[in-house]
Amino acid sequence: MGIAVQSFWDVIVLLALAIAVAPWFGSYLGRVYMDRPLPGDVVLTPIESAIYRLLGTSPRRQMSAREYMVALLLVNGGMLFFLWWFFFQQASLPFNPTGVPNMTWDLAFHSAASFTTNTDYTHFTNESQISFGSLDIAWQLALFLSAATGLCVMAAMIRGFVRKDGTLGNYYVDMVRTISRVLLPVAFVSGIILVVMGVPETWTASVIAHPITGGTQTIYLGPVASWQSISWLGTNGGGWYSANAAMPLANPTAFSNLFSIFLFLLIAFSAPFAFGQIIRNRGEAWPLMGTVLIVFVVAYGLFVAFQAMNNPALASVHGLGPQINGYPVGQETRWSLPEASLGQVASVYANVGANNMDIGALSPVAQMVLLFGMFTQSTPGGEGTGFGTLLLFTVLAIFVGGLMVGRTPEYLGNKIETGHVKWAALALLIHPATILIPFLVSIAGGFVQVDGSTLPATAHNFTAVLYEFTSESANNGSALSTGAFNDTTPFFNVAGALVMLVGRFVPIWAMLKVGDLFSRQEVLPPSAGTLKTASGTFTIYLTLFLIITSALLFLPVLAMGPLAQIVGGM
Amino acid sequence: MSDRNPPTETVAREWQPPAPTVARMPVVPLHRRIPSSHTMATHVRATILFLVLSILLSGFAYPAVSVAVAQVIEPWSANGSLLHYPNGTVAGSALIAQNTSAPWLFWSRPSLTDYNTTLGFDTPPGPTDPALGQLLNETLNYTRLYGNFTVNASIPFWLVSPSASDVDPDLTPEAVLVQIPRVANATNLSIPFLQNFVNEHIVNPVVPYVGVPYVDVLQLDLALLPLEGR
Repeated sequence: MGIAVQSFWDVIVLLALAIAVAPWFGSYLGRVYMDRPLPGDVVLTPIESAIYRLLGTSPRRQMSAREYMVALLLVNGGMLFFLWWFFFQQASLPFNPTGVPNMTWDLAFHSAASFTTNTDYTHFTNESQISFGSLDIAWQLALFLSAATGLCVMAAMIRGFVRKDGTLGNYYVDMVRTISRVLLPVAFVSGIILVVMGVPETWTASVIAHPITGGTQTIYLGPVASWQSISWLGTNGGGWYSANAAMPLANPTAFSNLFSIFLFLLIAFSAPFAFGQIIRNRGEAWPLMGTVLIVFVVAYGLFVAFQAMNNPALASVHGLGPQINGYPVGQETRWSLPEASLGQVASVYANVGANNMDIGALSPVAQMVLLFGMFTQSTPGGEGTGFGTLLLFTVLAIFVGGLMVGRTPEYLGNKIETGHVKWAALALLIHPATILIPFLVSIAGGFVQVDGSTLPATAHNFTAVLYEFTSESANNGSALSTGAFNDTTPFFNVAGALVMLVGRFVPIWAMLKVGDLFSRQEVLPPSAGTLKTASGTFTIYLTLFLIITSALLFLPVLAMGPLAQIVGGM
Repeated sequence: MSDRNPPTETVAREWQPPAPTVARMPVVPLHRRIPSSHTMATHVRATILFLVLSILLSGFAYPAVSVAVAQVIEPWSANGSLLHYPNGTVAGSALIAQNTSAPWLFWSRPSLTDYNTTLGFDTPPGPTDPALGQLLNETLNYTRLYGNFTVNASIPFWLVSPSASDVDPDLTPEAVLVQIPRVANATNLSIPFLQNFVNEHIVNPVVPYVGVPYVDVLQLDLALLPLEGR
């Protein structure tokens, strides 16, 4: 085992800090979307107004759900095309000092879809296959805009709870304010903090080093700190380096690892409080926050416990020293197991997807814990959309719970009707569908190639394919393995890109639609028959509902992959 | 649904409840709000302009300001924590491991990409995969053969296990200390001297239990070179 109990103190303090900051930052976040006075208005409001005029819009112009979605699809579609074109032509475009070749059309499509949807699942090796310009100009654009899009959708959906005129906001105004008031200032300060912790920040693309034992080694550099800070804050999870958050240059110390966890969780934990602020009822934030925390802490506990165990498969290796500070294969030396585990769990549960361990080398139970986080997508889930998913779960839970105890299903004075349930169920069912259908097609169609043979040979390879589609459907972006099967074929590029696009924009439309339905409803005054949602009982009920629903949807595939690995030892 | 609990609904209607707890405050005050009447052409124009502005901001302005600030406040780490030989040539980065498997140097953790940063990283075999045992056995045998270990000696796990990044420059102190007999054998340096030398290079956590004690192997080896007269 070899983990000192004392080594948990910093992760506990960090979690407590993230929870303590959340109500404060959440109410700030809420005020950003309420058009209320904010610090920084003196400087930023004139700039924002000028941008609105340039775009030909105004904060007064409020959009319906349909128009909001049109604007959202135009911006995201434009970004998707721009990224695809940039990657497809990167060899001949400027800022390619390391002479990287063009991507193939399908790889460029997968990458563009991946970054546009806040997934950042990569089918390439950054150092040799993506140019400096692609990283800095194309990918970084998506780091900002995909994160902002998620938050805008969350804000628009929440407004539906309190507005009664059928409008949800102005997409362009929301985007501008998200970037100018939230993402840009926090990312800038965090980037500078990362530089102080040792992360590079320079315009030099690479340096040739001359190792002691001869030969040369290329050290890839760039504006890594500022890039990485928006990637983590925006729960994108892309890495400037392909080894992502495990790379010593991107995450050099135990402190930078803790700081990255803080960035993963900052907006994710604040979202319930932003919700409480916008609906002007802060008590309603805690049941949602409580649900997130219960699932998150239990997942973390399971993860650490199983990572600390000795691997029984290594009994055949003689003369190997004891396991100190956890299981070393696929782990980095510089942080303790509790710290590394919190980084990995927070990264996957907040849908960041930045690995600071090698997921393929984790114990099967730990892999299953990570898979479960991507199945729920909402504990706490990705930027904005994670909280939106949690609200959809809440709507369903209240509907089902209302039927069970014979209460009127209503939430915050809004009656939940068939329309809401239909859209919420669609958003939650599209997730298993976009995992299981491509998973079955790729297995049955013989698209999974492992070293030339076409079928997955082991439960590990099976898990790797399942993990790939789960990560893509949840817009997570963590990857289980680079070697378990060949994922750079046109089939996996195109199927993966479609899974990511469907897994992103169908739930977004469902979230806007639910907000839209609420915004066109009469207000129900609370009555004796109202189910009280701001209570501990409801928190526990919602937690169980979330866990049971997710488990039921996915148990069959878990049994085929990770469970077989645990039981069968293959 | 109404036929399931008619009494509740009837009660609710007659009861005349208090004002709703959810305040109906519009996000933009109502008198200032008008329905959006953007045409498709307005949307397309706004999208293009918004994307151009965002590219200028995220791709140029934001990194440019960050680089300018970073180069002033922390130039060494902002430029990649580079380590130099006495003659000024770049030896490597303190944050990137190199192949140092010469008998007269301390070794880093093994790398599945052979420390070639262009290859990124590679995933080790899964936890229950028989290939994992084979890989570790091969690494152990190599380490025993060239690392001056007796056949039955226990070799620290961290010394023979591949890392997540494949360029982890750090090792646990015991995995460095265990290499001292080999280095002493290959050079004219004594074992007590090397023990003292390694102990001086152990990086202990600044705050207890935040991180673990480790040794940056590349920095250690570069400090060792002049002592060995190379």
